[in-house]
Amino acid sequence: MTDPVQFMSHHTAVEYAVPEPSRLGVHFAEQLARARIIGHKCPQCGKVYVPPRGYCPLCVVETTAANEVEIADRGVITTFSVITPLQYQGQKETEDYVQATLLLDGSDTTLMVTGLEGIAIADVRTGLRVEAVWAPEGERGSVSTGIRGVGLGDAVKSWRPTGEPDVSRDALAEHIL
Amino acid sequence: MWKLEFPYRRSVGPVIGAFLTGLRDRRVIGVRTAGGRVMVPPFEYDPETGEPASEMVDVASAGVVERAAWVPEPLRTHPLDRPFAWALVRLDGADTALLHAFDCGSADRATAGTRVRIRWRAETVGHLSDIECFEPEPA
Amino acid sequence: MRDVAIVAFAQAPLEQEPGQTETLMLLPTITEALTTVGLTRRDVGFTCSGSADYLTGGTFTFVQMLEAAGAWPPISESHVEMDGAWALYEAWVRLQHGDVDVALVFASGRATAGASLRETLTFQLDPYYLAPIGADYVSLAALQAQAVLEHTGRTEKDLAQIVAQRRRDAAGNPHAAVSGDVGVDELLRNDYVVAPLRTHDIGPAVDGAAAVVLVAGDRAREVCDRPAWIAGIDHRADPHYPGVRDLAQSRSTAVAGARAGVADGGVEVAELTAVCSPEEIVLAEALGLDDSVTINPSGGALVANPVMVTGLVRIGEAFRQVHDHGRRRVLGHASSGPCLQQNLVCVLEGRDA
Repeated sequence: MTDPVQFMSHHTAVEYAVPEPSRLGVHFAEQLARARIIGHKCPQCGKVYVPPRGYCPLCVVETTAANEVEIADRGVITTFSVITPLQYQGQKETEDYVQATLLLDGSDTTLMVTGLEGIAIADVRTGLRVEAVWAPEGERGSVSTGIRGVGLGDAVKSWRPTGEPDVSRDALAEHIL
Repeated sequence: MWKLEFPYRRSVGPVIGAFLTGLRDRRVIGVRTAGGRVMVPPFEYDPETGEPASEMVDVASAGVVERAAWVPEPLRTHPLDRPFAWALVRLDGADTALLHAFDCGSADRATAGTRVRIRWRAETVGHLSDIECFEPEPA
Repeated sequence: MRDVAIVAFAQAPLEQEPGQTETLMLLPTITEALTTVGLTRRDVGFTCSGSADYLTGGTFTFVQMLEAAGAWPPISESHVEMDGAWALYEAWVRLQHGDVDVALVFASGRATAGASLRETLTFQLDPYYLAPIGADYVSLAALQAQAVLEHTGRTEKDLAQIVAQRRRDAAGNPHAAVSGDVGVDELLRNDYVVAPLRTHDIGPAVDGAAAVVLVAGDRAREVCDRPAWIAGIDHRADPHYPGVRDLAQSRSTAVAGARAGVADGGVEVAELTAVCSPEEIVLAEALGLDDSVTINPSGGALVANPVMVTGLVRIGEAFRQVHDHGRRRVLGHASSGPCLQQNLVCVLEGRDA
């Protein structure tokens, strides 16, 4: 070989411990196992965070069990994307699917969810009312690892339209994302 | 555990590239600064003055250990998987020291002043690991 | 130059709830620092933080941590992928402009998140000549240690004595991971990690968070009974590759110290970022510190190394020497990179009214 070396390969790898779930994360998962969705309501501004983070980022105060509120398992799609999966290494999806932000009744923050059922992709829209299709009891994800991944983990298998009238865009202006 | 992996492929430029090309050919190439100092491994700029350096020069594959530190239990990312010494080696003809593993065998042989030579890997590709390690120079 | 002072310093407790996030470590820490001087987040004109995503493997994680500073309504902030001491430097520079008087500086890191801190930190090194052979920070510090012992004639026993002294110094420090009485001979019986360094010669890596409040001009006196005035602050870097410089010296520390004005009045106390014991020797020599100077009364980085926070904590401890212990002139030092490559020196003065 007489060509000068122009590139150098460097395959790097760093390993990390899977983060331990916080007490609040474990508590949230325990409630999901009982088909209960909880949030924290900020004692200062009253905004409700789902999942609860243990603080309100707007008021910068910590929230605790004293601030826990129960959230409905139904709500409204505020916005969505239709994902056409690229076939990269590790990709598990092959068919188009919808990724949506969902505002549950009682919450001020949205959840990112996938897995809409009972509706064609072309009919998904902002303002659509949906409800949770819960996984059977005992199959609602691991309490010890809290919630990892999108939405409510394995606790809710999918979301289906409720048949209620759509919510107007104006009503959702403050909660798109 | 979860793992973060990055498969980097970096361009090396004319100075580092010349050094790596040399390694592939089992030669050691350094760079001479404007002030006359020969740096091995070579850098594109003189760290003392900031002046560009581009005059490539050949140096020997053997030299002297300036500093050694014994590793009783190597990390899996270290060059050798048995106890070894890190060594800063000033190859003959160079004015700076090259860092690599020194397969000296025991802690008491990890000493400054020892003459060493490069043990080349069987197959060289143009990478710092074409140098498998340093070994004691036969008397 | 505008007079800027450190008026408050707070550090997150060593013991944290399991799975605690950096944001929640920082939130009460920042609140504590501001509350000490009767300020709120609304009073802050500029925020700067230090952290490193590589510690936890998350991208842009510092953006989420900004919620601990309160980022709504939008704030003026900056971030350095470095120890918080450099965030403090940037905040000091910002305050020189004269349009804002209060700056918040914070830093955090979960150094225990990675499987091997030695492997993780290797990614900050030269990608051609150092990272590919896995030259980790302990191995590099060991090479520097060999150079220091040869240059000074000190011994491994001297290193163990430094360690033993720092552990005694740390007895009253709730942020020390190790402290108390330990015999030098007992320490020397332990195996090498990389010779001549043993486990005790390397500061234990811990998770941590800290916050500092800077206030400029007369406002500092309004909020704080004894501000620690930044009389000088400077940072310099040596060449990166260990083979091109004399590892027994730290020229960048000497230059930074001179520019920060260490010698213009000397210092009573020096909090030095020496993560490995021989580094204290190199730094003390580079800064011209004689036996009259008390080094690392907190125990220093040898008793706890909250990576990315350590340097800021040294400056915070220097502040405490002025504010809590009435000192007149002290220094805090921070370091980054292999074998003390980059060094920051901050000289603090307590001025009687």
